[in-house]
Amino acid sequence: MSEPPAETLQALSAGRLLRDGLILLAAAIVVAGACSMVGVAELTVNVWRMRLLRLATASAVGSALAAAGMALQALLRNPLAEPYVLGVSSGAGVGVLVGSVLAARGLFRIGWAGTPALALAGAVGSCLVVYGVAQRRGRLDPYVLLLSGVIVNVFNGALMLAILLLSRSADIINFVGWGMGQIGDATDASLLWLCAAFILAAWSVLFLRGAWFNALGLGDDVAGSAGVPVHWLRVETFALAALMTAAAVALAGPVGFVGLIVPHVCRMIIGADHRRLVLFSGFVGAMFLMLADTLCRTVGEWVSVGSVPVGIITAISGGPFFIHLLRGRLKESSA
Amino acid sequence: MSDRHVIQAAEVEFEYRPGQPVLRGASLTASAGKLVCVLGPNGSGKTTLLRCLLGQLRPCGGRILLDGKPLGRYSPRGLARLMAYVPQTPRSAFAFTVQELVLMGRLAHTGLLGLAGAQDLAVARQAMIMTGTLPFVSRTLEELSGGEAQCAMIARALAQQPSVMLLDEPTSQLDIRNQLQIHRMMQRLAHDWGMAVVCISHDVNLAARFADELALMREGQVLAAGQPLDVMREDILEKTYDVHVELIRAGDDPIPFLRAR
Repeated sequence: MSEPPAETLQALSAGRLLRDGLILLAAAIVVAGACSMVGVAELTVNVWRMRLLRLATASAVGSALAAAGMALQALLRNPLAEPYVLGVSSGAGVGVLVGSVLAARGLFRIGWAGTPALALAGAVGSCLVVYGVAQRRGRLDPYVLLLSGVIVNVFNGALMLAILLLSRSADIINFVGWGMGQIGDATDASLLWLCAAFILAAWSVLFLRGAWFNALGLGDDVAGSAGVPVHWLRVETFALAALMTAAAVALAGPVGFVGLIVPHVCRMIIGADHRRLVLFSGFVGAMFLMLADTLCRTVGEWVSVGSVPVGIITAISGGPFFIHLLRGRLKESSA
Repeated sequence: MSDRHVIQAAEVEFEYRPGQPVLRGASLTASAGKLVCVLGPNGSGKTTLLRCLLGQLRPCGGRILLDGKPLGRYSPRGLARLMAYVPQTPRSAFAFTVQELVLMGRLAHTGLLGLAGAQDLAVARQAMIMTGTLPFVSRTLEELSGGEAQCAMIARALAQQPSVMLLDEPTSQLDIRNQLQIHRMMQRLAHDWGMAVVCISHDVNLAARFADELALMREGQVLAAGQPLDVMREDILEKTYDVHVELIRAGDDPIPFLRAR
């Protein structure tokens, strides 16, 4: 076989990453613009402003969950990993719900930064439990981790239901909608900017870790021998995923499966290089949730309760997707 | 060829659980320009010793020196510039192409984003030529045969430009032709490139034929180490593997052939 010329070796360049980023940003702006036009109500300045705030919330939540899902999948070398499946989202949800119920009863002043702080406490708590159970001999067993995540998720779900029983009946309908993952029309702008800042900071760090995530795909020992501080990367990635998930849950409740669907679709389109995947996952996650929430908002204008939680759409599309991935994984294992 | 000791493990002890030692004072030295094969039964501590040499496990006793400096004093990046590792099974969780895979070997030489420059591409290309993987640049590991995939993993390790190469049973899942190819490659890395190559193996005959030195392990200790002619003795091999063995000499080949009875 003849030897290919030197030019056949091509590496990812900073220029290509910049071009990717600009194209994705332009696409996200176009999607946001198009979504802001959709709706039954007359498009006044106030309506448009409200829709843009809602779209900004959706994009922050979508990018956070997708980037966190991508990072967890890379870390655990498992396409089934994501904040919702691992119980991180529900942990954050428990944190927020405890604060909200106590605040509703006048026992606690939650403040504008209180929601993300409580969400972060819950997310970190879940991460510690899941991580602690799955760690053995300094290594993480991806399957044990996934399984412990599922169990923590069920436990947190039960905890949320128990907390709901303690809340006032008037608040229950709001909490139920929030528990499914809902983006409201009246997101607190201060909360949005705070969460968006956290998400952007965490996303930037994950972007810088793309090359390390690539090496991690070859196993802990290979990555370590290539110069990756594996233990530090694990702790950092869990912390960043918890932070991003907490910010997303503080804004919209536990929205499921975004972190599962988006990274996988991105991987199918652009390949396995995590330096591009972090970028794509964040932007595509933002666009996905803007579209899903616009659908919910539009349908919500026709239904009696007036709103449809976006988590319903993501769960309806994500559930079968999860089963599809799981079956593929099982086929691989038995091959 | 230099006689300078490159990597040296002295009286290394390690336990995963307290009171259950896996390594009990294992000592091993791999010099530049030498291929050292570590042999021993399953559970004798070979892979644990390799992971200690790699810096992935921290021994609870003894010391490991790389170029005279304790392993713990190197940063992960600094260590990666000196030492590379090839795992037993060439496996990737994601569908990287061979080119992407080999360029990952440049991680310790590039910036934070791991963006490769002209020099990195040249080194990667050289590693691919050396391992015969250049024709497969756009293929993923899954699209390669076992031997080709292992060569791609070796190319990735070579792209690190290490002076020490550690391989964990690189030929355990390969056919005879590929086993010979990988052993010849390891020999070339040691003799022509001056690397210190440490390879775990289960094939005593192949190891004895290609290695400059053999180290036989049992129950967390190195029972015997030295040139194949010195170590390939029935008493040593029987003590190592706990089976009756017979050494057969064929023609004028100085290295005897092992047959278990």
